[in-house]
Amino acid sequence: MAHIVIDENRCKSCFICLSTCPKGLIKKSDKVSKLGDNLVEFVDNAGECVGCAMCAKRCPDMAIVEVHR
Amino acid sequence: MQVFKIPNSIKKGSMYTFCSGCDHGIAVRLAAELIDELNLKEKTICTTSIGCSVFLYDFLDVDCIEAPHGRAMAEATGVKRARPDKFVFTYQGDGDFASIGLAESTHAALRGENLTGICINNTTYGMTGGQLGPTTILGQKTTTSPMGRFKETYGYPVKIAEHIALCEGTAYSARVALDTITHINEAKKALKKAYQVQLDGLGYGFVEILSTCPTNWKMTPEEAHERVRNELIPVFPLGVYKDITA
Repeated sequence: MAHIVIDENRCKSCFICLSTCPKGLIKKSDKVSKLGDNLVEFVDNAGECVGCAMCAKRCPDMAIVEVHR
Repeated sequence: MQVFKIPNSIKKGSMYTFCSGCDHGIAVRLAAELIDELNLKEKTICTTSIGCSVFLYDFLDVDCIEAPHGRAMAEATGVKRARPDKFVFTYQGDGDFASIGLAESTHAALRGENLTGICINNTTYGMTGGQLGPTTILGQKTTTSPMGRFKETYGYPVKIAEHIALCEGTAYSARVALDTITHINEAKKALKKAYQVQLDGLGYGFVEILSTCPTNWKMTPEEAHERVRNELIPVFPLGVYKDITA
């Protein structure tokens, strides 16, 4: 099943991925990073992700470390 | 099937020192992906500059040399002439490439050195606090032009890709942006071409990348991308300005 892997240590909470995912599958998380900002999480209960990798291509910090299709 | 991973040319466990939302990270990733795809990792020597790109040697898993401010092209010239079998590229900001290093950059292009230059243009001096730089656009407010850049006082911004394209030794010169997926894909194609002209011994390959500086522009990352689309691209049009292979 298509999915992404987020490395929370790399994420700097810029939230570019939130506005990039065409399906809106990346959301703000309640977890807080070491920088003090909310992290993001991948929520795909309905299996909507197609592995387009747009989130990974736009992530400036390579926090989306893997995309599987 | 895995369709995306961190490039092998990025050091394992290394963390970017760029601010949140800065496009520098995308540019470094594209440069690293191409080193992997063209199988250049073992023959690459990178010359880094002074500015936000100064810690590049901490992220890129290739041989790197730090150059004094603006002198990356002069240093890269020496490296390439001594080791013509190596793939040599510079990674510089607009202040480094087009202000203090304009002479070195221009003359490397005029000499037709077999080098690849990558210049990140975010229209300001990012690392030192957002001062007016050579590419600051007219009207843009910076910490040293708080009323905006006026042509009467500060002159006009440098259009780097056009300037390098005018040099006879240049084989390829293009300007790209990183604000959308389409532009990111086009940026990678342009970088590949700039790599390839060096590998083919055709001369100087250059890519200017319009980037964001959310911290000093005092914007969110997506607002900064809007600014690239609405304010920067009209002043710095995207495109290929010279390609002797076309």
